[in-house]
Amino acid sequence: MDFQPDLPIPISYVSGRYLLFSIDAVTYLRREHHICGVLIGTLPQIPQQNVFLGLPLELMPEEARLLVDKGVACIVDEAKAHDGMNTLLEEDRRRYLRDLESQGLHVSRIQSDRKERNREQTLKKIEEKKAKAKAKASAVAAAQASTAPEESSTPSPKNAAIVDLFSAEDPRPSSPSTASTSVPPQTAMAITPATSYPPLPTPSPSSYLPAPTVPPSYPLFAHLHSKGYFLSPGLRFGCQYMAYPGDPLRFHSHFLVVSYDWDQHIDLMDLVVGGRLGTGVKKGFMIGGAQRGIDEVDSEADRVDTVRAFSLEWAGMHMALIFPRKDSRAHAPRYRVVLA
Amino acid sequence: MADADEDVIQTPSNAAAQPEVDLSDETQDFRFLNHLNFFADASPSIPRRGEKDFEPNPTELQADVLSASRGAMHNALSYPRLHGAKTRVVAFYSPDGYIPPVQPDRVTPKASEEDGKSSESAPKPPRPLPNSARISPDACVCVPSPKGQFFKTMGQADSSSRVWLLPEEALYLIERGSLDIRWPSPSGFAAGPGEEDLSIPMSLQAAYACFMGRGDLTLERYSVYTGLKRLGYALIRAPGWCDDIEQQDVEASNASEITPPKLHGPGLAGMLGSLFNWIHDPRSTASTASGPIIGTGIHRHYMDVYRKLAIIPWYDPATAPERHPSDTTPPFRVVFHVYKPSTPFKKSAPPTPDFRVSVVSTRDQTTMPTMTQLGALLESTPLDPPRGEKMDRMMYMRLRHGYRNVVLAVVDQGVVSYLRVADSAFGKEKLYENKGGPQGPKRNRANYKPRKR
Repeated sequence: MDFQPDLPIPISYVSGRYLLFSIDAVTYLRREHHICGVLIGTLPQIPQQNVFLGLPLELMPEEARLLVDKGVACIVDEAKAHDGMNTLLEEDRRRYLRDLESQGLHVSRIQSDRKERNREQTLKKIEEKKAKAKAKASAVAAAQASTAPEESSTPSPKNAAIVDLFSAEDPRPSSPSTASTSVPPQTAMAITPATSYPPLPTPSPSSYLPAPTVPPSYPLFAHLHSKGYFLSPGLRFGCQYMAYPGDPLRFHSHFLVVSYDWDQHIDLMDLVVGGRLGTGVKKGFMIGGAQRGIDEVDSEADRVDTVRAFSLEWAGMHMALIFPRKDSRAHAPRYRVVLA
Repeated sequence: MADADEDVIQTPSNAAAQPEVDLSDETQDFRFLNHLNFFADASPSIPRRGEKDFEPNPTELQADVLSASRGAMHNALSYPRLHGAKTRVVAFYSPDGYIPPVQPDRVTPKASEEDGKSSESAPKPPRPLPNSARISPDACVCVPSPKGQFFKTMGQADSSSRVWLLPEEALYLIERGSLDIRWPSPSGFAAGPGEEDLSIPMSLQAAYACFMGRGDLTLERYSVYTGLKRLGYALIRAPGWCDDIEQQDVEASNASEITPPKLHGPGLAGMLGSLFNWIHDPRSTASTASGPIIGTGIHRHYMDVYRKLAIIPWYDPATAPERHPSDTTPPFRVVFHVYKPSTPFKKSAPPTPDFRVSVVSTRDQTTMPTMTQLGALLESTPLDPPRGEKMDRMMYMRLRHGYRNVVLAVVDQGVVSYLRVADSAFGKEKLYENKGGPQGPKRNRANYKPRKR
């Protein structure tokens, strides 16, 4: 599991978006660099649901930029890279197809083993049941024989049927077992690989695309990331980013993050709305921005150090003040002053 | 952050406001997938939501649980896409789009055989045309022998019963492991019986690289497509799919540009205009200036009074003329027609869609739609008035359903939110016409009336 992929990790640039297709890269970036992205693909094992999703992983431009700036990843134009598919040598094709076939054989062997084991288990269960049923039947028969022979007219056909069923089933397991082991003599399963690199050569550094352009919120993103937060897109929750104190697999988020420019005029209503929303979902509402503009520094990285962030939380004061106590008969005031 | 006391205060209201939790809202712990046996024949069910910790602490327990979660995620995501010999469906990628079947060899001998049947050969050549015309120019994957349930709602068959898939359909099928797409083999379209098959299977990565961006397919549109597909809906492209539909009827849109909104009657935006007109109109304000709005006559019924008091003009969505999709501005344009799983769907003759979906990417469109954009979007959908026994009975359902509606799918970096926008006609719901005054349980309360008087 602690697999270390070769650096830099190629991030696929597909139609203006940043995607990852290699599971090893996804696990590595999550573990070592706190980059989670969003899984957008269908899991082939349970395809009809939206709770657990699979590869590819979509990265925000901010995430891709951060990784490129760190030297961990590079951006590859995937459509261009796949033009190489047409010029693949026949030898390489053969070798690749052979590899895939041996993988397919391996998988089908595992599957047939598993099936065999499952079958044996169910057979065992059936036999146990059968033994139990036999014991029961004999006990019942003994009881019936000892009490009244007339009453056995109704249950006996039933018992007979059960016994018949099992005796009929007895020869069956032996014949299909030989059939099942002989019929699929390891036909290789066809595989759709997740990535195109084996058959394609690893892209050369000269083909790397420039670092992704990022929105003005990038310094705040990078600042929070450098403090150990895991960030994910947050529009669904009414903010720009969700900030998690640890891996979102195991932790709830703590902050709803919105970035502002340093001199930007902030509408008070936005603060009220954000503060109330955050408190309502038991999170802090965080605003922040970089002090220095992009034209004052050499690189985005220099701005990250000048970021300041503030968190707003709705205090519970007004609840105590405004809501009448249960014993008082006074009506609630018609107007509530929330922010003076 | 909230402490235990606050939790107690907030739970009742929260529970009432959000009765159901959408599991897909948050990152789920992949360990729960471990409980599923993927090789089992029975379809696995989705596990329940797990508990999460508040914040990281340096305990080994937490580290172990986290690494177990990550391990489970790794395992779940590395599950291969396999094609068993029986269920395998093979398809071929055709980079140049639709290729008509190689007919000359087949048709000409037939035609020569049927030469005796007079000039039957003359109408024959155009026959494949309507078929091939039905194949979208964006189709790029060919399934020579389609089988399985998926082709009931996807793909277009050509004259030799091959099915052609659109990029999003092909990508969805390869992603769920239901289609084995092959690169065109170097020797030709498909290897002959004697030749060695050297066509390489297309990887998921390759499929994204080749299909994304093809025929106006964006990652956002695809996210919406596949997300709804996974839930069992059937989707087809709407006429507004292509961004350049304006070019098809430039003249029509030009004509409407010369005489702007007024031509479309009281649109959503036109309503505002008429409101201003009304304010500046001396005749309608004259009555308020000279005397009471309701006039000085004798009023025998409250209804008359209310009717006269209704001086604010309102917009009736039912009378707004329908607009062509080309009047809408690109992100706010219907791109998918969606059908519920229960709707009988026939791909050759799709019924009226259950939902019309417009896809918006938050990275390209960072502002709310303007009134004009939203109005044009709504008016490009057909009138869908609230009908049925339930709607007639329940006013609030009527209001919520509206007279036109559209679903906005807002995609934020792979996270999709759906918003339903409906055109409600509040002006049509005359509350004063409800017999017997205010309805509801209040009337039965004895202490209600005394308080009022």
